[in-house]
Amino acid sequence: MAKPIQLSPKEMINAYLLFFVVHGAQIGVGIQGFQRIIYQDARHDAWISVLLAGIATHIVTFCMIKTLEIYGSNDLYGIQINIFGKWIGNFLNAMYILYCFVAFFSVLRNYIEVIQAWIFPSIGTWFLSATLLIIIIYAFTGGLRVIVGVSFFSIILSLWIFPMLAFPMKYSTAASLLPILENDFRSILKGAHSMTFTIIGFEILNIIYPFVKDKKNVRKPVHLALLATTFIYLSVMMVSITYYSEGKLLKTIWATLTLFSFISFPFMERFEFVAVCFWMLIILPNLCFYLWAAYRGAIRLVNISGTTFVWLFSFFAFIGTILIQTRTQINTINTVFGQVAFYVVFVYPILLWLIAQLKKNFTAKKVKNNEQA
Amino acid sequence: MKFKLPFNKKQSAPIKEAPKENLVRVAHETDHFIQSIKNATNNPADLIIKTLPPNIALIYIDKLVDDQSLNNDIIANLQNNLYETPESLKVALSISEVNISSLLKETIDTMVNGSVVIHVDGYPQAIVANIASRESRALSAPENESQVIGTQVGFNESLSTNISLIRRYIVNPDLCNEKLKIGSRTNTSVSLLYMHGIANDQMVNTLRQRITDLTIDELLDSAVLAEMIDDNSLSVFPQMLLTERPDRFCDAILDGKVGVIVDGSSMAIVCPQSFTEFFQSQEDQNLRWQIATFVRLLRLTAFFLSVYLTPFYVAALTFHYEVIPQAFLVPLSESRALVPFPPIFEALLLEFIIELLREAGARLPTKIGQTIGIVGGIVIGTAAVQAGITSNILLIIIALSALASFTSPSYMMGNVIRLIRFPIIILAGFWGFYGIMLAFCFILIHLLRQSSLGAPYLSPFYPPRLKEMRDSIIRMPIPLTAKRPALTRPEDNNKFEPEPVKPEKS
Repeated sequence: MAKPIQLSPKEMINAYLLFFVVHGAQIGVGIQGFQRIIYQDARHDAWISVLLAGIATHIVTFCMIKTLEIYGSNDLYGIQINIFGKWIGNFLNAMYILYCFVAFFSVLRNYIEVIQAWIFPSIGTWFLSATLLIIIIYAFTGGLRVIVGVSFFSIILSLWIFPMLAFPMKYSTAASLLPILENDFRSILKGAHSMTFTIIGFEILNIIYPFVKDKKNVRKPVHLALLATTFIYLSVMMVSITYYSEGKLLKTIWATLTLFSFISFPFMERFEFVAVCFWMLIILPNLCFYLWAAYRGAIRLVNISGTTFVWLFSFFAFIGTILIQTRTQINTINTVFGQVAFYVVFVYPILLWLIAQLKKNFTAKKVKNNEQA
Repeated sequence: MKFKLPFNKKQSAPIKEAPKENLVRVAHETDHFIQSIKNATNNPADLIIKTLPPNIALIYIDKLVDDQSLNNDIIANLQNNLYETPESLKVALSISEVNISSLLKETIDTMVNGSVVIHVDGYPQAIVANIASRESRALSAPENESQVIGTQVGFNESLSTNISLIRRYIVNPDLCNEKLKIGSRTNTSVSLLYMHGIANDQMVNTLRQRITDLTIDELLDSAVLAEMIDDNSLSVFPQMLLTERPDRFCDAILDGKVGVIVDGSSMAIVCPQSFTEFFQSQEDQNLRWQIATFVRLLRLTAFFLSVYLTPFYVAALTFHYEVIPQAFLVPLSESRALVPFPPIFEALLLEFIIELLREAGARLPTKIGQTIGIVGGIVIGTAAVQAGITSNILLIIIALSALASFTSPSYMMGNVIRLIRFPIIILAGFWGFYGIMLAFCFILIHLLRQSSLGAPYLSPFYPPRLKEMRDSIIRMPIPLTAKRPALTRPEDNNKFEPEPVKPEKS
């Protein structure tokens, strides 16, 4: 068995906080405009795709926790080295760090694009990127306790956005959902596949698991978090399908933000201006957790301090945001990243579980044989 | 990111060898002894030497000792009788604290503290009788933390009076009082107070360690001490409470907190203190829980209004006209029609004027200060609008946020609220809502990073403790708040056995 990660109780977090970790890591930039992509494939049955994707997250998480339980107190990086040996394991670890980097980058770049498209068309990409990175560095250097705190407050303080969906509901027609299951199952599955970019984030569980104090109680908060995410996506999707006409939804890139744009209060109109800026708080946990996950892997590969790592990482992300400028490029990155993430998040953990289980049985048998001999 | 602090909390003080002068003994002859005291104290004008024939000399510093007990208890006793040895003399004095000392340094130290030194000619010892009397003002109502309902007494500058006030509230032998000396030149007495059996030992040890590790030459006020023993001295947010109310102090101590009182300072330090507790007043305990909850929520709203209202105005008018409803746009543009400045400049100017008024009001004598407050506010405000350098609406917003910042029960926290508004206004003026949100996230992360005596600063919200939120920004009825806050990691968790909220009437 691989050497478990030893931690002092002060560095660890309570299991129930995983609800906020997982939920906060899942919801991010994707929700701003995932409707169009799913709708392209699954049409007005898109909500079934969302539901299927939600169920898939539960299954994958089940496998993830099973794998992690075999190893007691270890993260994905340690498990990979244990299963595949030093060389292949380290290679896979490096790949996973790269995956975290691309995930971090795509969240950052998408958010910057939203800000430029909706509020400040003239403001420099470098400025938005630099300010966001400084905030993230500040959170990261505070340690895991601060990062989990950010995700906690991110969820609590943005709860008020969800009821805003009631405004567009006044103008929606439930008939748009009918007839149910008109599209063939294949296109619905394809739609579920397109959900990948929006629904990922819960793979942070692979890394944060050793930091949980009471590992027995991990399941409940994690599955509740997945349930909450699915519920939110499902409601947003339902409202979008019933609110937009068919042609309109296909042409709207950020359908959720457009939904917000006609919300008005006696003291405020054009709610999306506030929402887009407020979204910074919602993407903060995304960015922090991917950064932190990459850091956990990096310290296994090379001897590097947290401060050096975070500055290097931010530097590359900064360069990246400047290099990638157009909508087409960003869209390509999202699509490609979504494809890769599907295999990393949805396929790989199941494979890993099978291999780990096989290996465990094999080792157990070997030990038994040795004892008999 | 780590900054080097101007003083190092963790470094242990270098071990000093006792200088030779500490070991000098008291001389046999009275003349010699007096001369050596004069030399050591640089012959001050208020040093009084009184010789009582045949062989006794009294040395003390004028006004440091209590004249009455000097006359009645010491001089009267010595005049009527003849004493041969210091021991017999010690027995004869009707003073509670009398010691015999043979070291010169020790004798002088106690004399400077308010003792009378008595020397019998021919003996290498001196008798020190402690009859110190310290000038201090009478107890009065707390001025900075006034309350409508509640006790109307505040700490004063005398350490012993303050401790006796606390002992009056907490009549219990478990109340621990440790005396420490701080400041190589001022030798200020500092008392560490906590409840044995409630306060967490580790926290008491940490605090004691932090205080004794300080190497400073002067300590004139507890605010200085609070800043130096904070977890993060560089943060703008205070992490320890300064209070002048004995009831608040006792309430905190009974919750398992540790208190520090500095001699000569009317403010006591209480720690650990969480961010939300800075918005609580002791009066909340005295009011019905519905009203207390309302007032607490009001204060929290005031905090957010005070910090974000002006930036919101600046951001909306500079960049986001779209968010202003049409009906509101007309009066707004009318009031701003004559204003030649951009909103950010307009807002900063008015905030600056408000801060000027506040500072002038605080510095001037009370009577003039009130005049400045009222006349200055009305005259400058009205004139500024008529002259067309600000808009009416902004004036309302600024006044509102200034007012809101004064609702904070802690003066220290009120200062912070007023200060952090300025960078947020500037950010809002340059980058609109995005700038405000940047500031918001930054403050949130900053607060998450802080700790107070090692306890999380944002407790009970993060880490979330649902049961303790009953007494945070709301206050539930007393039977529901029977637990002490986990912030202090108390040894004894329950204040009392919780009873049903509505007991059956018998």
